Amino acid sequence: MKLIQKFIKTPEGIVGIIILSILITLALSAPIIAPGDPLRIAGRALAAPFSDPSLPLGTDRLGRDVLSGIIHGARTSLLVGAAAALAAIAIGLMIGLVAGFCGGIVDEVLMRVVDAFQIVPGFLLALAFVSVMGASLPVVVMAIALGAWADPARLTRAQVLSLRERDYVAAARVIGMPPVEIAVKHILPQAVPPVLAVSATIVAAAILTEAALSFLGLGDPNSVTWGSMISEGRNVLRSSPWLSIMPGLALIVTVLGVYLFSEGLTKAMTRPASTDRSAPRDGMTP
Amino acid sequence: MSEFTVSRRHILQASSLLLASTALPTLLKAQDAGPGGRLVVAADSEPKNLNPAIVASNGVFFIASKVIEPLAEAAFDGHDGLEPRLAISWVGSADGRSITFKLREGVTWHDGKPFTSADVAFSALNIWKPLQNLGRVVFANLQGVDTPDDHTAIFRFAKPTPIQLIRNALPVVSSVVPKHLYEGSDIATNPANTKPVGTGPFKFAEHKPGEYYRLTRNDAYWGKDQPLLDEIVFRVLPDRAGAGAALEAEEIQLAAFSAVPLADLDRISKVPGLKVVSRGYEALTYQLVVEINHRRKELGDLKVRQAIAHAIDKTFVVETIFLGYASASTGPVPKNAPEFYDADVPNHAFDTEKANALLDEAGYKRGADGNRFTLKLRPAPYFNETRQFGDYLRQALAAIGINAEIVNADSAAHQKAVYTDHDFDLAVAPPVFRGDPAISTTILVQSGTPAGVPFSNQGGYRNPALDAVIAKAAETIDSGERTRLYKDFQKLVVTDLPLINVAEWGFISVTSERVLNIADNPRWAVSNWATTALQP
Repeated sequence: MKLIQKFIKTPEGIVGIIILSILITLALSAPIIAPGDPLRIAGRALAAPFSDPSLPLGTDRLGRDVLSGIIHGARTSLLVGAAAALAAIAIGLMIGLVAGFCGGIVDEVLMRVVDAFQIVPGFLLALAFVSVMGASLPVVVMAIALGAWADPARLTRAQVLSLRERDYVAAARVIGMPPVEIAVKHILPQAVPPVLAVSATIVAAAILTEAALSFLGLGDPNSVTWGSMISEGRNVLRSSPWLSIMPGLALIVTVLGVYLFSEGLTKAMTRPASTDRSAPRDGMTP
Repeated sequence: MSEFTVSRRHILQASSLLLASTALPTLLKAQDAGPGGRLVVAADSEPKNLNPAIVASNGVFFIASKVIEPLAEAAFDGHDGLEPRLAISWVGSADGRSITFKLREGVTWHDGKPFTSADVAFSALNIWKPLQNLGRVVFANLQGVDTPDDHTAIFRFAKPTPIQLIRNALPVVSSVVPKHLYEGSDIATNPANTKPVGTGPFKFAEHKPGEYYRLTRNDAYWGKDQPLLDEIVFRVLPDRAGAGAALEAEEIQLAAFSAVPLADLDRISKVPGLKVVSRGYEALTYQLVVEINHRRKELGDLKVRQAIAHAIDKTFVVETIFLGYASASTGPVPKNAPEFYDADVPNHAFDTEKANALLDEAGYKRGADGNRFTLKLRPAPYFNETRQFGDYLRQALAAIGINAEIVNADSAAHQKAVYTDHDFDLAVAPPVFRGDPAISTTILVQSGTPAGVPFSNQGGYRNPALDAVIAKAAETIDSGERTRLYKDFQKLVVTDLPLINVAEWGFISVTSERVLNIADNPRWAVSNWATTALQP
């Protein structure tokens, strides 16, 4: 509760949460505001924005509604972003916990695997994975998670390493609690918060990676994504720039929203509750 | 009577008029463009093997056709639709078992050695027939080449071979390479494949990978006062958006093969100094085709195939996807091949209601979600237009209750999936019509091609009646009879729909107005450019 209170006191957090809630509402209500397949041909090809009230943002090369594409694209972007981040954090927590808790040879092996994944640029890994597996939403989610789990794994391990030496863990050991229970019940909950703080950045990166994959034609061709909209608009960039600009703006706003949200969260978690009041008191002495 | 006497003066007058009328165009041409100059051209792909005798593809011809010449080139108004190059005449025997080529005299290779019938015989027997992608089909029955003298080559065939087929194939399959450089070496890895030596108007100078190819004028070319250019540079510009910008910045003077995206043509045609040309590709017709996997139970049903044909709005495809730079197809032979084209075939007009009725009739009712069944659709990745048509086809099929799921892949994976693994229900393909249905068109519907042969019937379609017509035409010597058989072939294909022909298109060139004499033959982009000139 305190965390939420602190969070909404940060300006970044407020702006971030407003942007994100609007986007999430938009994404959830897509079938109501823009019913039907967003890829269907809705009108004349390359209609300019604001020229036809029924197609407010105009149409693309094949006559598909740009607004409907952006609304449904929000769905794909947020879904892929959230799912990929979730998967990455789940894998990261798991590996980090095992490595940190077990130590020794297990730790060595797991951390070298983490090193291997950290050396390879995440985007290249995703690119290779999708080209081999074929483009579909689950594959794209996996591909992005594959390049993003190493950081949370390292973070978790570091936390676990310090936590497992605490007195309460030693106490749990003394009373004969099984190691798995200690790890899951007593260490994991303490290790999660710092990882959650980086989760928002992972979401932002995942959204951008998904857009980049779609831009290169490796997204799911059966669902509309902002990346593929930008890519298709690129061919007519000189004559109909709005086709690339609109989804580009949507992408910027989303990533900005996620980033601000994460900034707010980090601030709220690091700033002590009493900072605001204690500061002037300290300065009172002449 | 005296009015009709022919005097010396009359003859002089008439002959000088005649002389003036024929000399005038040449004089004008000479005024328009003095010889010389360097033409810089956009190249979107960068083939390593530049030997058109082995790889008869447009990507290779685009560069190599200036260096290595065929026996004859396609022409708008030549005899048989051909213009002599290294051969000056070709005569088929009555039994279809031999063809006699008279070869041009006084031609030398770029390294100074004379060109003779031995070069033709060597190219035909050691390269065209065993190694070339198209020559394997056209010269399948070639048994030997007799060379009674240095300027006569007699092709002997094991089975009757139609002269019409050989004639139509000559521009594409008959690139002659020098025997003295290839003999006794491994032809596939010969250095002359990357640094070609030919008889053409330009000599190969250098290739800087990732940057350019450079060709220079062949001063000893057999064509009188040809070529007009000093140099041709093919600048490698893989990014399609880049070609338009480079033209506007006058860094290049020509972008062929639709290197400038269709959607940008309207804007670029208004740029002063540039022009958009759609001529010069008449013999390079690409066809937009829906390939069908007949192994799928639903697609094995003619009614379903008819329904799909009725669901496609060809006008939309031509006007919106190709922006008018294409025409709707009626069948497997394009209108650009008037020798064979037959408009009198069944027509599957755009009619969604009829398509729905056909599917209902076939017993595929719509389910609760409005879908009758789901298909896997693989659009070929080679062109923007094939991908866009894939997107359109998915929507067109949705309107008749067929749920198509698009699967995208790169070129290699797409070819493997469709032509080797048969992992598709529908595929969008852009086959090329090469002047004669027997070269690369009948193979699209003929049965019995082993798996793994790209751009062939890999949909498991088998129609004995159609196979019989194709087999008969392949050995019919009489051109009239052969043409008639190919008209039957068109009717059979459109009636039974082994595949669906949607549209056919040529490419577009965008050039600087300073470039003259472009598009003067139906394969201009891949011909020798000996008459092309550049205004200073």
